[in-house]
Amino acid sequence: MAGASHPGAMAPPIPGPTRTAPPRKPASWPSHPRMRVYTLFGLTGIVYLVLGFLCLRIVWALGQGEAAWDTTMASMSNPFYIAFHWVSLLSVIFVGVRFFRLFPKAQPARIGPLKPPPRSLILVMLYCVWIGVTALFVAILMGGLFR
Amino acid sequence: MSDSTKKFVITRFDPDKDEEVRTQTYEIPVQSDWKVLDAINFIKDEIDGTLSHRWSCRMAVCGSCGMMVDGEPKLTCKTALASYGDTVRIEPLANFPTVRDLVVEMDGFMDKFKSVKPWIIRAKEQAAEEGTYRQTPDELQAFKQFSMCINCMLCYSACPVVANEPEFLGPAAIALGHRYNMDSRDEGAAERNEVFRGEGTVFSCSYANECSEVCPKNVDPAAAVNQAKFNAVVDWTTQLVLPRGEE
Amino acid sequence: MKHLLLRLEPLIWLMFGQGILIGTILLTGWLIVFGVALPFGWVGFEDGQALDYSRAYGLASNFVGQAVLLALIALPLWKGAHHLRHLSLDHGGADYDPVVALSLYAIAAGGSIAALLAVIRL
Repeated sequence: MAGASHPGAMAPPIPGPTRTAPPRKPASWPSHPRMRVYTLFGLTGIVYLVLGFLCLRIVWALGQGEAAWDTTMASMSNPFYIAFHWVSLLSVIFVGVRFFRLFPKAQPARIGPLKPPPRSLILVMLYCVWIGVTALFVAILMGGLFR
Repeated sequence: MSDSTKKFVITRFDPDKDEEVRTQTYEIPVQSDWKVLDAINFIKDEIDGTLSHRWSCRMAVCGSCGMMVDGEPKLTCKTALASYGDTVRIEPLANFPTVRDLVVEMDGFMDKFKSVKPWIIRAKEQAAEEGTYRQTPDELQAFKQFSMCINCMLCYSACPVVANEPEFLGPAAIALGHRYNMDSRDEGAAERNEVFRGEGTVFSCSYANECSEVCPKNVDPAAAVNQAKFNAVVDWTTQLVLPRGEE
Repeated sequence: MKHLLLRLEPLIWLMFGQGILIGTILLTGWLIVFGVALPFGWVGFEDGQALDYSRAYGLASNFVGQAVLLALIALPLWKGAHHLRHLSLDHGGADYDPVVALSLYAIAAGGSIAALLAVIRL
């Protein structure tokens, strides 16, 4: 088997009459494809945390004035920033795809008198919103709209 | 007449003799249409009567025969031997203490199970003269899937949170509690949501979805747990605005 | 500490969930512009260009812009903090979870407050 589970995992409220062997994790875990995807999903937490603070840096610079803004924008061509943003973009897409796959079935069966739409429709709606908002964001920021 | 032979590397543990778990290898003739349970029963009946394991119905409705087969939790009565190679590794269910050989300690599971109050809770029972509780097909569909659980505990073996957080209620217990919360006849959601937001909190679930991947009855406990999270948030918000009094 | 975490858990989960949903939806466009288009010169920040200071400030300083930017910064912080906490738990960190959790959530809370200040002063 793989490593040990927490020693208290699934422990009985009152110990039984005989000694037990400690619980262990499944042997397939470290290398199982699904567990790798799950671990990667968790690791994107680092990306999102750092990204949040990088976005904060940009918005803070906007509030400080034109000189700070120009300096911050110029720094975006730093190879480190470019590499991190590429990794972030891949992470965000990976998170979106995995989360959207799991999102529909997590919706309550009923909210008051209302039932949610079929799961396949929820999935389509999610992707439409994702693509639509992305396109709108890009269009606005790149000067295609509200010029 | 056997079709071939296979080796079975089986975990053994006798609390009276063994300091820790060990493995024992058996090479036996197998039939092409055997399930894994058939091989284990053959070993116990013909080769080594000391091998201990649980099984009962042989048709995937009792949930007794759950074990790790090549590192994955399976119902051995339902798992075809032909899907595996020449050597098959069989271990007791992961994340559970082992009592002996392939038999795991179940009391921890039963304790979590009972804590979610898996029965219809009503403020006042309907009198017999008033007839039965009526339910529309829609109301039945809201919880029916989650009532199909056979308590086989495969989901507990697959869950990374169960492995690492001893207080977590676990997929099957939460799915069953959610089943009753969604039952139109039940009035105990407030009591169960207290449990769902307590030490064994539903929010410990990290949505690995492994429980649903291994569930042999398509209960989809991951869906139940995450629906339960949503309901628990609604309950928490409602309590902020309209606190419940002490009973 | 553990009791405090249990009481706050529904709110933290809500922000974590929105961090994944709304954060992912908003961050994709943001990253395409600031991570790809800007370094490659497809958009510029000099006077008269799409991301020059006056235009950027005009887009950001209205109510809608402020709300979007607040969501863009704060929600991913909660997603990140909560996921890193779970990563710690998945790797044997149950015994010191209260310290790890409160530290991570404090970082997310601090970042969220800074985000609020950043958008308010626009």
